[in-house]
Amino acid sequence: MSLPPSYAIRNVTARPARSLMTAGVIALVVVACTLFLGLISSLRRTLVSSGEPLNLVVMRKGSDNDGSSQLTLEAYQAIKYLDGIARDADDQPLVSPELVVQPFFRTRDGGRENVLVRGVEPVALQVHREVRIAEGRMFNPSSAEAVVGRGVMGRYEGAALGDELQFGRGRWKVVGVLDSGGSSFESEVWVDVRELANDAKRPFPYSGIRLTAASPDAMAALERRIDDDPRYAIEAQSETAYYAKQAESANALYVLVVGIAVLAGIGAGFGAANTMYAAVQARTAEIGTLRALGFSRGAILWSFQLEAVALAVLGFLLGAAVAVLLTKAIAALVGGVAFGARTFTTNVVTLAVAPGDLAAALVLSLLIGLAGGLGPAWRAARLRPIEALRKA
Amino acid sequence: MKWLGLVRANLGRNALRTALTGAAITLAVALVCMLLTMPEGLNSLLDNLTNNTRISVHNKAGVVYAMPYAFTRKVRQVDGVAAAAAMTWFGGAYEEAGRVTFPNFAVEADQVGAVYPDYGIRPEQLADFQRYRDGAIVGRQTMRKYNWKIGDRVTLRSTVWPVTLDLRIVGEVPNERAPMLWLNREYLDQALKAQGRPGLGIAGVIWVRAESPERVNAIMRTVDELSRNSEAETASETEKSFFANFFGSLQGFVTIVLIVTGLVALCIVFIAANTASMAVRERAGELAVMKAIGFTRGIIFGTLLAEAVVLSTVAGLLGVALTMGLTGLLRAFAGWNETLGPLGSFIVTGPVIVQGVFLSLFVGMLSGVVPSWGAARKPVVQTLHEVF
Repeated sequence: MSLPPSYAIRNVTARPARSLMTAGVIALVVVACTLFLGLISSLRRTLVSSGEPLNLVVMRKGSDNDGSSQLTLEAYQAIKYLDGIARDADDQPLVSPELVVQPFFRTRDGGRENVLVRGVEPVALQVHREVRIAEGRMFNPSSAEAVVGRGVMGRYEGAALGDELQFGRGRWKVVGVLDSGGSSFESEVWVDVRELANDAKRPFPYSGIRLTAASPDAMAALERRIDDDPRYAIEAQSETAYYAKQAESANALYVLVVGIAVLAGIGAGFGAANTMYAAVQARTAEIGTLRALGFSRGAILWSFQLEAVALAVLGFLLGAAVAVLLTKAIAALVGGVAFGARTFTTNVVTLAVAPGDLAAALVLSLLIGLAGGLGPAWRAARLRPIEALRKA
Repeated sequence: MKWLGLVRANLGRNALRTALTGAAITLAVALVCMLLTMPEGLNSLLDNLTNNTRISVHNKAGVVYAMPYAFTRKVRQVDGVAAAAAMTWFGGAYEEAGRVTFPNFAVEADQVGAVYPDYGIRPEQLADFQRYRDGAIVGRQTMRKYNWKIGDRVTLRSTVWPVTLDLRIVGEVPNERAPMLWLNREYLDQALKAQGRPGLGIAGVIWVRAESPERVNAIMRTVDELSRNSEAETASETEKSFFANFFGSLQGFVTIVLIVTGLVALCIVFIAANTASMAVRERAGELAVMKAIGFTRGIIFGTLLAEAVVLSTVAGLLGVALTMGLTGLLRAFAGWNETLGPLGSFIVTGPVIVQGVFLSLFVGMLSGVVPSWGAARKPVVQTLHEVF
């Protein structure tokens, strides 16, 4: 014979102060963990772009990102007319030569950060299909115009639509805003590739090349062909693989945060266990009565465990609501959180809680509930009815 | 003091609860301390490795924009400059990871010793660094991480220059927090020329040591004036401001960490307060009896409060000890992690320990005051009624 679930739930509501206290502790842990996990998932989203499955990144052999790579004009011309590259409506190959530099930008609060500026040709928007102009328009070549990513806009002096941005040696008029669904391109500024090369006085015109292959088979062939070309010492890899490597930089943080979540969870578990033990003590007589009525040990164990889990779920709901509101508040107040990745550039992270983060927090709170409830429930089930009744 | 026995007995009467509360506080204090070591580590790194007579000279447009190497000589001749050394990012990746796991630069071997006298590099090691073209000087943190010893050979593949260099470690920077590796700029220059390229005609940053802290501002002004209207205009700043800016991009992250820390601290207050109020509620009858036989309010309040404070302080001290153990483990385990930058090198500094202990004291006070005050103020008759 088992106890109805409503009995456990009613026990939660019977002592609102104590239940809220326990749920509150769990809620706080959930808030802390959700914030952290949200930070990590936002970071991962921002540090990388998923990449286009048919895109290749071409760089100098040995470079680990396009910020430290250099390519000659000859290499670009040799690659541009290789077989197997997709073409646009005008039958032009989808090859985007790019130059990456990281000049200082002044932040609004007087600091300075290295921001990734990408010199491109108009074809770039066709190669990076995830990037679109959300406001304004694309820059016109050789007219000192720039388009800025969403994350950059408003964070730096002069980085708003219609403003004049100052970086490198020149000034650039902001004519458009880039949107890439939250990926790393939103922390970049795009300008005309030749103007940027002039401004930065680079000995080599390009850092790297992005191109779109016509088919998966053509992509593999292109990759081999470029890697094996002895003239230029360059290598190609798929955009997906390239970004997966860039994302590794968030892994250490991830481990750190999981460790913190576990520690906080154990602490909260102790707090929850405390409350449940007190509940068992206060209800000794009640438990004795239940046992005398014929409810089995298992039924009592189950009911107390259910009570603890109900508390944990309550705590999770409270915490999740607070965490989501808090991230929205932080995002509104702070704007983006800047994060300096390895590559000398600043990524602007907009804090947001992903469903996966909430799921992880839910698992954590359930674990807290189960672990915190187990000891007390066990003790409740093991009480001898005779002694328990004597206390009544 | 004669009431201490009472406090101890009360803590011991429900050992399980005391242990659970203590453990929760211990963990939370450890967490808060761990998180606090991040911003603290950032500060101590800045204080530890920077010097008030050192100046960084770099291109106004950014650190990735270079300056002509010849400008170093001009800087060296400025009045008040004791020494100046050009430094260029080499971006060498060690082993097959293909990633830069510690900062490494090509430097002027004959100048660094004079620019960094405070690093405490042994003179004979500096002499070797100048004598051997393939010599390298490595910070102790990185030496430890890879178990390198003086005399070891290491190979670095540059991610910036099209070269791979074989190096011999000839010296170390004896500072636990120094992660860098220096190699000879002439070695890199010749390696580039060997490939038929122009040599290394640039400097990324020129580090300058002023004769005295008073001269710093004048030097910075003069140097920036020298480069005005040239190919590469410079922006000079003090070493501390340079690094603060360099790590400035971590500030946002640190802010979030601090917010979370605050939440965790709030958690502990909750847990402790919960326990204290339970203890009071359970003992209502007994407290009423104590008052009825003549114990004053002050004593009752005091003993209850002391109970909470003793418990959280002991737990807090344990928490601090736990932090020290954990960070020691982390340091041994992770070393300098390039993604966390200076946040990766957890160091428990004095202030953090003090903060941890104060936090737990504060928690004890806060959580103990309300329930104890309530218990001490309740009229005896009312309580006895409720109980019997």
